[in-house]
Amino acid sequence: MVDPSQAGMVAVGAGLAVGLAGIGAGLGEQAIGAAAVGAMAEDEKFFGKGLLMTVIPESIVIFGLVVSLILLFVF
Amino acid sequence: MLKPTKMTRVVIAGTKDTIEPVISTLHSLNMLHITDYTEENEDFKIGRPLKPASKLSEYLLSLRAISSQLGITGKEPASKQSSKELPSRIDEKITELQKEVSSRFDELRGIEFKIKEKEDLISAVKPFFGLPLSLEAYQGYETIKVYTGFISDDIEPKLLKITNNYELFTGEYEKRKIFALFIPKTYEDEIQKLLQDERSYVELKVPELKGNPPVILDQLTNEVSTLKENHASIRSELDTIKKEYSDFIMASDEFLSIETQKAEAPLRFATSANAFIIDGWVPSKKYNELESRLQESTNGKAYLTRLEEVNEEEIPIELENPTPAKPFELLINTFATPKYREIDPAVMLFITFPLFYAIMLGDVGYGIILAGLALVIKNKFKTGGLNALASILLLSAVLSVILGVIYGELFGFPLFNIEIKGHIEEGILGIAAPAIAGLHLPIHRFDSVQSLLMITLIIGILHISLGLIIGFRNVTIGHGLGHAIYAKGSWMLILIGGVVAIAKLMPSLMSGSSIRLNDPAIMAGMGLALIGIILLIKGEGFISIMEIPTLLSNVLSYARILAIGLSSAGIALAVNTLSMDLFIKPDHVLLGGGIGLALVGVVVLFIGHLINLILGVLGPGLHSLRLQYVEFFTKFYEGGGRKYIPFGYNRKYTEE
Repeated sequence: MVDPSQAGMVAVGAGLAVGLAGIGAGLGEQAIGAAAVGAMAEDEKFFGKGLLMTVIPESIVIFGLVVSLILLFVF
Repeated sequence: MLKPTKMTRVVIAGTKDTIEPVISTLHSLNMLHITDYTEENEDFKIGRPLKPASKLSEYLLSLRAISSQLGITGKEPASKQSSKELPSRIDEKITELQKEVSSRFDELRGIEFKIKEKEDLISAVKPFFGLPLSLEAYQGYETIKVYTGFISDDIEPKLLKITNNYELFTGEYEKRKIFALFIPKTYEDEIQKLLQDERSYVELKVPELKGNPPVILDQLTNEVSTLKENHASIRSELDTIKKEYSDFIMASDEFLSIETQKAEAPLRFATSANAFIIDGWVPSKKYNELESRLQESTNGKAYLTRLEEVNEEEIPIELENPTPAKPFELLINTFATPKYREIDPAVMLFITFPLFYAIMLGDVGYGIILAGLALVIKNKFKTGGLNALASILLLSAVLSVILGVIYGELFGFPLFNIEIKGHIEEGILGIAAPAIAGLHLPIHRFDSVQSLLMITLIIGILHISLGLIIGFRNVTIGHGLGHAIYAKGSWMLILIGGVVAIAKLMPSLMSGSSIRLNDPAIMAGMGLALIGIILLIKGEGFISIMEIPTLLSNVLSYARILAIGLSSAGIALAVNTLSMDLFIKPDHVLLGGGIGLALVGVVVLFIGHLINLILGVLGPGLHSLRLQYVEFFTKFYEGGGRKYIPFGYNRKYTEE
């Protein structure tokens, strides 16, 4: 268990874990998303593949999320 | 279920005099996927369209022109029209309609043009209100030049330097100074230069009309309003025509499309001088029906042959699923059409998609609203993609209601009484939650994050394992067992081994106590994972090690099921707290802040929940889909099959 005086720091850490990971994933996804939309405009069949490619950087956020959940609820 | 419909390749041959009955039988059966004939050689050429084709497409063209001029859009028909009566009506009606509609349309165009012209004149005349002259006074001189325009400076002193033989009128229009200068033509060059140097000068053209500006304006305005009346009356005539003929036009459009399709069908056949051959695919269980119907309509003159040796790549894919799972084929086809020997995962989506969605949304109130919405959409669109989406939404929404009961949430308010720090907070129903099968409800989401996280990860492991098992089966069938063990078996071993080892390691990692690696379960798990890695490297090369972390991220990815749910519940809770505590019940007194504040509270409550509801469709929907596409499908799905498109038409406005 965390010392009450440090609980705030834990919360800040949890927020940073999700927030920063989210920014990173967003930066990664913007280029892929734009390209995927372009490909889809050419041929609609690319929807599935486009979605797949676009969400690849998202796993980073999930890592961040898991870290923050562990910080908040496990420690 | 699980596999695409079994197809039989069939070749139909006959003499050319039977081509029409064969085409119309095939068309009405709507079951033969025709393979287009493309390689011409000396004996066989691509067929020519039947005779009426060009006339039919001409009709279709003029009909579509009429329907776009009238602005007719497809709607559910009141009654179906018989296609026996249509041809005779089409002949006479289309020419007549075309004449009526296009003459009126030309008239409309003419009137619109005139209105534009008059309105331009009106705006040209208006500035001359500022000058005390009638319009004919500005024109028709032989030796005098007239300048009119806006100008803000006084030009008189400059004029006097040139000559005093002039007449200048000034006035104001809409707070801008306007002038008219009459001067002998001999000074033209000097005046031109003078005006060019004036920055504020804007030339005005005098419209070629006679009379006082206000009188002319009245006249023009009257003319415009008469024209507008005419326009409206022609429009209403067109609307009457539209109302009267809309059904007929939709039905004829369909009829002509069908007939054109039939007339152009020979373009897909191979034909010789006297015979034709159609190559295509038919669902195996419908073959007998196809054969008997064709024999019947041609008096046995058509010859059908079943070809046993086929190239699997060419088989068209028709997905085959029980009715409840049918809408999910849309999600499959959006991703990719499966190959003939691949597993069709629609049935699995039928279970997992709504389940993931419901675990994420999990609210009785939202669930009921979305179910209602889905029913409305289903009623409005009886077929097509929207209907399928609505069916998916309905299923997901109903499951969300059930999950909502388990979570005990109704629009974020507690459904049942819950005990918080010793005192009991009353829920909407005012009763304690029932315990079902030893499970004490409700499972409050914010209180049980840890166990719910565990559950979502377990769901993930199961889901990915299922994907790998299907992948194992697909690879075994496609490339043999050995390949399957290297490509999919290795991943299964890594997954199972990794899970066992980590599950055993986790408690001691968490508590920070020393790790005992000699635990048999950990040893076994690590051993399995190691064997898996070795198999993987052997099968896919050393670089495949790079892929191993993907498995971890895939499993963790299922944590989003919990995360989306928490955020949805969190927003609802925030909206409720905000509106209840601040506005509706400040200090636990209903209407404590007066009616005004309570109304603000109601608005906040409504808008907040509306936004959350919209997010509740998008978020869970997309993320549930993503888990299918990215985490599940990548384990087994290749796709790349050709869709089965039978030769025929789904009639909507006509009947045979």
